[in-house]
Amino acid sequence: MSHARPRLDAMKPKTAGPTRTADPRPPDKFPFRGNYGPYLLFGSCGAFLLLTSLIAVEFVLALGGGEAKYDAFMTRIHGGAYRGYFWIALLGLIWFTVRFLGLFPKTQPFRFGPLKRPPDAVMLAGLLGAFVALNLVVAVILGGMLG
Amino acid sequence: MAQVKKTLIVTRFDPDKDQAPRTEKYEISVEPDAKVLDALNHIKDHVDSTLSHRWSCRMAVCGSCGMNVNGKPKLTCKDPVSNYSDVIEVAPLANFPVVKDLIVDLEGFMDKFKAVKPWIMVAKERAVEAGPTKQSPDELADFKQFSMCINCMLCYAACPVTANEPDFLGPAAIALGHRYNQDSRDEGSSERNQIFRDDGGVFSCSYANQCSEVCPKGVDPAGAIQQAKLNNVIDWAKNLVVSRGGK
Repeated sequence: MSHARPRLDAMKPKTAGPTRTADPRPPDKFPFRGNYGPYLLFGSCGAFLLLTSLIAVEFVLALGGGEAKYDAFMTRIHGGAYRGYFWIALLGLIWFTVRFLGLFPKTQPFRFGPLKRPPDAVMLAGLLGAFVALNLVVAVILGGMLG
Repeated sequence: MAQVKKTLIVTRFDPDKDQAPRTEKYEISVEPDAKVLDALNHIKDHVDSTLSHRWSCRMAVCGSCGMNVNGKPKLTCKDPVSNYSDVIEVAPLANFPVVKDLIVDLEGFMDKFKAVKPWIMVAKERAVEAGPTKQSPDELADFKQFSMCINCMLCYAACPVTANEPDFLGPAAIALGHRYNQDSRDEGSSERNQIFRDDGGVFSCSYANQCSEVCPKGVDPAGAIQQAKLNNVIDWAKNLVVSRGGK
């Protein structure tokens, strides 16, 4: 069963009338003003997910291709270009997460069953704390400091 | 009190004469505590009576006087000229066709409002003898914030999704639909959620949050849209498990 509503194009008058209208203008200085820049950057961070996924696929292929391929892959990702990319991706990830978590609290309903939603600042502090803690744990594990 | 001099650069468009909007400069003196709307009314009354703009209540309730002031959507009756330097640019709201000067065509948006069914829907009419439907303060708090919208359309003028996707239901309409979905007296959320999940519905929103930043009444339409997204995912998942009508 289709629930599609008729297309409602707000950029045009519903019916052609005797009055001629001027075309709508885009928001001023779009996309370099207000939240438009962060909004576009936020969307652009998807590029990091794509590129990092490709590197992960390359890693799996190298792992299955024998020791020589694996060693070549490891040598390559220690090169300057990869290191530069990883730093940029890390900064992108941190910025993306901080913005996402900053916007997250108000996406939650005002009540969770009988409980009221905690204040946004409390929720944000909890989320950022969990993000920092998770990264510390991952850093400790990857740094070989455990066991 | 000494008056202050301001230069207003106002967008003008006469559909009978102009091919495209143009700007006109007015140098005026107004009271220091005047609002941008007062300045426009001064121009209309004393300088150029052909200027057309909408306004009504002058106390940020009717939502008629929304315009772009120095590039930002503002309620001009609430926006003092003292917020700006000597030059103030006033333009019609972005993302809307312009009828004349600062007046935009809102007809398309009226259809969007109707599309979200902004009224209480019940499966069966309640008998008068049953008395009034009760609602607790907590239940009221679930939607009260979203019912404060005055339909000023500043959120649409600020929304980058509306700029790129004209079919998008938009912040105010979705906030209004969500307001009824959250109302404990309403039984139409399933029907509204079908509309919300459709093309141009809640999932078109990419959460720039600009609508909430420009909202003069603190409605937070961006929050409403994200809450509606979550409700829709839950509603969709429920429908997977429980067949429709099989309550």
